[in-house]
Amino acid sequence: MNKHVMGWDQTRMDVKRVQEVWRDDPEKAGNGTPVEKAPDPELGTELIPAERYYSEEFMKLEWDRIWTKTWLLGGRADDLKEPGDYICTDIGKESVLLVRQNDGSLRCFPNVCLHRGNRLRPEGIGNVERFQCMYHHWTYGLDGNLDHIPDMCTFHQGGPPGMTLPSLPCVEWASFVWFSLNPDVEPFDDFIDPLKQHIEPYHPERMAWKRDITVEWDCNWKTSVDAFNETYHVQGIHPQLKWYLDDVNVQIDCYGKHNRYLIPFAAISPRVAMPSQIPPAIYEIMVNAGMDPAEYTGRVGDIRRDVQLFKRQNGPEQGKDYSELHDEQLTDDYHYTIFPNVSLNVHADDIMMFRQRPHATDPNKMYYDIWMFELVPDGEEWPERVRHKRFKHGDKTIGQVLDQDAFNLPFVQQGMQSDYFPGLWIGDQELRIRHFHKVIDDFIYGPGGKKPDDI
Amino acid sequence: MDLGLSGKKAIIVGGARGIGYSVAEILAREGCNIALCARSEDSVKDAVAELGKYGTKIIGKPVNAKNADDYKAWFEWAIEELDGVDILIPISSAGGGLGSEKYWHNAFEVDVLGPVRAVDAVIETMTEQQSGSIVLISTTSALEAMGGPMAYNAMKGSLLTWGKQLALHHGKDGIRVNVVCPGPIEFEGGNWDMIKGTMEKFYNSQLRQQPMGRLGKPEEVARAIVFLASDAASWCNGSNLVVDGGYTNRTNF
Repeated sequence: MNKHVMGWDQTRMDVKRVQEVWRDDPEKAGNGTPVEKAPDPELGTELIPAERYYSEEFMKLEWDRIWTKTWLLGGRADDLKEPGDYICTDIGKESVLLVRQNDGSLRCFPNVCLHRGNRLRPEGIGNVERFQCMYHHWTYGLDGNLDHIPDMCTFHQGGPPGMTLPSLPCVEWASFVWFSLNPDVEPFDDFIDPLKQHIEPYHPERMAWKRDITVEWDCNWKTSVDAFNETYHVQGIHPQLKWYLDDVNVQIDCYGKHNRYLIPFAAISPRVAMPSQIPPAIYEIMVNAGMDPAEYTGRVGDIRRDVQLFKRQNGPEQGKDYSELHDEQLTDDYHYTIFPNVSLNVHADDIMMFRQRPHATDPNKMYYDIWMFELVPDGEEWPERVRHKRFKHGDKTIGQVLDQDAFNLPFVQQGMQSDYFPGLWIGDQELRIRHFHKVIDDFIYGPGGKKPDDI
Repeated sequence: MDLGLSGKKAIIVGGARGIGYSVAEILAREGCNIALCARSEDSVKDAVAELGKYGTKIIGKPVNAKNADDYKAWFEWAIEELDGVDILIPISSAGGGLGSEKYWHNAFEVDVLGPVRAVDAVIETMTEQQSGSIVLISTTSALEAMGGPMAYNAMKGSLLTWGKQLALHHGKDGIRVNVVCPGPIEFEGGNWDMIKGTMEKFYNSQLRQQPMGRLGKPEEVARAIVFLASDAASWCNGSNLVVDGGYTNRTNF
């Protein structure tokens, strides 16, 4: 029996069986997504102060030192195909326009009229020839130039400096567009390192929008990031997933600002007895791969590997190019947290990602964006773009698993504000939470600058 | 009541887990020598090792009922090792499934041909010794709606007809054949354990339909099977015993 990749003693965990999972050999992984375990950073065992989840003071620090300083995810590049296509997205009190230019390049501007401060566009996507403020028809070109001020002669001071909207940094990467509120932000390549090598083999640009939902959640944005940063809660809040994934044989890797875990899918958790019949969710995985579960003669414990081999063999004729992915990536969940607020589940055939945005004024609220994309097989028509939906916490179902998370989070947010709760008591299965908060500390207090009394 | 099982030789197809294992355990406790099989080598090994504690002869080897030649050879081996056979209980099942014609083939091969080949393999020995007891396992899903129009339900239903006709045909040779129809049974690693974990609402709806508010346990079916298999049931022949805690709605006239 191989040792657990994280060094956990499986025999002493709350499991019914000790299970070994098939993994790709890191030695043979080549240039694709790295498979090997990254060395664990030394992160200690300190409490994570609860106050940072509800304090307005900390919220202000985050705004000044994180949201206005780093790179942020803005949207999908395929919403910006033609000149004049734009994405308008809000972050905190700010709103930006990401605009496709006539020459095909991308530019980003604050979504604010220089006249009286009106928002130029509401949040969403669209196409314009120019941005005309509804209030007094000040008109800006796609390049941000202030092309027309009605009755210009009545402004004795002339037009605003440079007659242009300020320009903000923006880039396209892996089918996504990114921006920063910080004109002096570090180069994107330095920011995203080393994730290019991790994500690009999945070719997100071959995947099309499947779901685009924003829910206003009653919790801090970090409460949400934390919830997706560990698999320890599967046995608590998602008991049904024990017949879908192996929440014990998980690999956690921390890299600079970002981190990930790898979790075997199409597997049975060692926390339950191995069934003899194929569980419904694994049945779905087989059907989606093009297998007939009725034909399957192997044991339930062999399905994960057999799905990988089936997809490897049958992918090409299904118009699915898996050539840059390792076998385990054909079934498993590679789950990344891109600092500060993107939770990214990448799979061979789809992406399920969450963008977790702070509320403009209330640390106990956030915006939870659910973005799902599905691989469009070669030769199939690119589907019509799904419409964005928006609702409040608990108004509508967002699927069983996410509903389970959503139901719980407001209670976490409330409980953390108790005088009897000093902070988060984090275990090794939650190493990514510790790493995430270490990166936050470095942004807020400077590298290594957090003092014992700091929140 | 003496079940008269001590020293009897029993063959259980699918005796490594669930109801089958529970039958094996009761029979072993009652003093039977047992041959059992399952598809997985590990689970057979574990079952044989565990049942050894009752002090009777317990043997087992993995075999797949779908492979007729291996299956036949397994029976020859088992009857020789046990030096005869008094009791046959074939339990293995391919389980349910909707939507693919393959499920009909699976259910036919495992749930029907499995018992058919097993009976063929023991009937000569039982006829020679002019005694034997066979218990076939059907299901309440053959009697009432469960899980949709499935091959499993229909194929299990055929065992009721065939079991009765076996009883009529072999009674003259002192061989009794009975059928047990278990309702939903829950045990760790079983289907209902998984349904409880993955489809909680459906599971709870089943509980509400249960007069006693719970599902059955393997030993509660196993005791009924063992009774029919034993000499204590000497006048039970061609019967269909529903063991379901009162779950089925129909009246069994």
